[in-house]
Amino acid sequence: MDIIKILENTVAAFFGIDAAYFALAAIGLNIQFGYTGLLNFGQSAFMACGAYGLGMTSQYFGVGMWWGILIALALVIILGLLVGIPTLRLRADYLAIVTIATAEIVRLVVRSVRFKQYFGGSDGINSFSTSFRNLSPFDPGAQYGIRPFQYSGYSLWTMIVGWTLVAFFSFLVYMLMKSPWGRVVKAIREDEDAVRSLGKNVYSYKMQSLIIGGVVGMFSGMIFALDRGSVQPDNYSRDVTFYVLTALVLGGVAKVRGSVIGPMMFWGLYVFSDNFLRELTKDRPFEIFGFGIIQKAQVGPVNYMLIGLGLMLLMTFRPQGVFGSKEEMALDGR
Amino acid sequence: MFVLLGVLVALAAPAAVHALDSDYSIIVSVANQTNNNGVAEKKPVAGVKIAITTPAGVAVGEGVTDATGAATIAVPAKDDYVVTLDVASLPSGVTLVEGTKTVVNIVKDAFTTNQKRVTFFAGSTGDSGASLAERIAQRLVDGVRLGLIIAICSVGLSLIFGTTGLTNFAHGEMVTFGGMMAFWFNVLLGVPLLIAGPLVIALGGVFGLAMNGLIFAKLRKRGIGLISQLVVSVGLSIMLRNMYLYQFGGRTRPLDDFSLQVAKSFGPVSITMRDLTTTIISLAVLLGVAAYLQRSRTGKAIRAVSDNPSLASSTGIDTQKIIRIVWFAGGALAAMGGLFRGLDEQVGFEMGSGLIFLMFAGITLGGLGSAYGALVGGFLVGLLVELASLVVPAELKNAPALLILIVVLVLRPQGILGRKQRVG
Repeated sequence: MDIIKILENTVAAFFGIDAAYFALAAIGLNIQFGYTGLLNFGQSAFMACGAYGLGMTSQYFGVGMWWGILIALALVIILGLLVGIPTLRLRADYLAIVTIATAEIVRLVVRSVRFKQYFGGSDGINSFSTSFRNLSPFDPGAQYGIRPFQYSGYSLWTMIVGWTLVAFFSFLVYMLMKSPWGRVVKAIREDEDAVRSLGKNVYSYKMQSLIIGGVVGMFSGMIFALDRGSVQPDNYSRDVTFYVLTALVLGGVAKVRGSVIGPMMFWGLYVFSDNFLRELTKDRPFEIFGFGIIQKAQVGPVNYMLIGLGLMLLMTFRPQGVFGSKEEMALDGR
Repeated sequence: MFVLLGVLVALAAPAAVHALDSDYSIIVSVANQTNNNGVAEKKPVAGVKIAITTPAGVAVGEGVTDATGAATIAVPAKDDYVVTLDVASLPSGVTLVEGTKTVVNIVKDAFTTNQKRVTFFAGSTGDSGASLAERIAQRLVDGVRLGLIIAICSVGLSLIFGTTGLTNFAHGEMVTFGGMMAFWFNVLLGVPLLIAGPLVIALGGVFGLAMNGLIFAKLRKRGIGLISQLVVSVGLSIMLRNMYLYQFGGRTRPLDDFSLQVAKSFGPVSITMRDLTTTIISLAVLLGVAAYLQRSRTGKAIRAVSDNPSLASSTGIDTQKIIRIVWFAGGALAAMGGLFRGLDEQVGFEMGSGLIFLMFAGITLGGLGSAYGALVGGFLVGLLVELASLVVPAELKNAPALLILIVVLVLRPQGILGRKQRVG
């Protein structure tokens, strides 16, 4: 077993592009769920808005990449209004059901053959990242950095952009939550009726929170799409939202550093588990007393089993995660 | 007009036809099937370009269909080939059915006999010759079947919500559990399904009890809130689904018993005896559940707890016992739904999680927490999904059901049968 390699990959995963795009999605979810108490299970749909907004520009409209941000922004606002108007008056569990159903509709539509000419069906969209590539100051063929932090020029470029966005939005959320606006949304999380009695328009604040969180999620989808160079509909399934939620809970909800360090830890742990199990089963199945426990092909499901188990244990025994505080865990006001 | 196009790939060995020194050739025929007053007419399509390549992509031969809609293309040897239809060369007005593959792989073994035909009719061939009324009738029958299965699956989901307040995202995995257990008994152990069926249902009940006893009862005792419990059920759903994937693999597989049946026609609709039987059993079970809830002492207690747990508790009802009964019954019914779904379609690790949205739509439509609401709502959603496939492409047929979910929440959040209460 190559322990050095496993550890190298694990350390690299803490700062990898996956952690960056998860962190962006988690920052968005944190605004909605952590600070405002909106149980948005459709974050993957907002991510898809970003990715498809970007992909559709160069593929179908023939306009530059920067228009992608505007198109995606429009998509996010439309989606936010569509989801928000009917459900923000409802209880949290209703919101969860409706957002997850909406995300599923979005995924069904973008992967359908009927709308293939717009969204590319299950093949997705592939050629849109050229102008982003051309912005890169690095030589795309060369390798930069030292092990384990060694990246091709293009990966380095997406990572820098990704982590810059993470830093920017972290700072923004930090300032936002210190502002009067932040105090209002946190008060909504604690006691909606009290806020209403003070003359605040709770509905409007919730909508703003949903859309601001969705916009951050949109950038997450963009970074992911740019890194992979393609937009695939199945990358925006409901499970993505759940993994982001797990990462956020791990870090600690309603904390800015929780929403950034949580995804880093999530990916570190995931890559460690994945690499460890793959090394373990590389030559022959992992056995205990002659019983084959894990075959090579079963490593994937075992990893996800551990994620599910981790989410259950976290919610039960340490719902505030690593950085959160119990006082801010008003998950059950409504 | 209903345009349907099939590509027939037939293989023969007309050595004399070709200049090439080979006994082997591939005959590709293209037919345009149109519907004239319910009578299907097949017309050959001429002028369609066909290309044959090796699996590696090296061109072997090309051909264009003639007036009989056929193209004979010689191939050098008995080997694997890929036949590709050039969609752009189709005459105007003729389109491939959506989702139709334009590529057929021919394997070496297909050359065993001279008249071996590789035929592929993709798309909704079954409906090709049917009039609109017949298609509606058939969809109605399919919708009733799906609706009954959804209703059976979602009774437990709704009752658990009513009695404990938990929105259980892992309920789909309870349905999958039924399918998995049926597969285990029937295919791996060889137990006939008629014997295994009741066992599967009982085990499903035990599974429900275990879920409550090991997880959710403990969470309630610790005073963990409902939203946290919801997130725990999400984690449980992810864990269980991947346990099934780990054990069962990603493929869907049929059960042994009753898997090969020919559909019998009853007037305009056709249904297999298997599906007819499961439909009748489902209906009987649902009526039984409704009667039990309405008449029996326990049923009344369940409705009381569902209505107002603390009030029910103060009248001397043992709410924890009622909750256990609900979890057992919910698990058993979900397993039964999984068993029927496994017969209807196939068994797979995602069979239940694919239904959970429809179940949510059903119980929301019927009224969250209302026992009869789940029956009515689930049934209506199943009907809607199948009828929707008349209008929207089959791949999008779940979307209208999910839209209904949203519309109901806007217009009538308490559902059809729900009690009016504050939901926001």
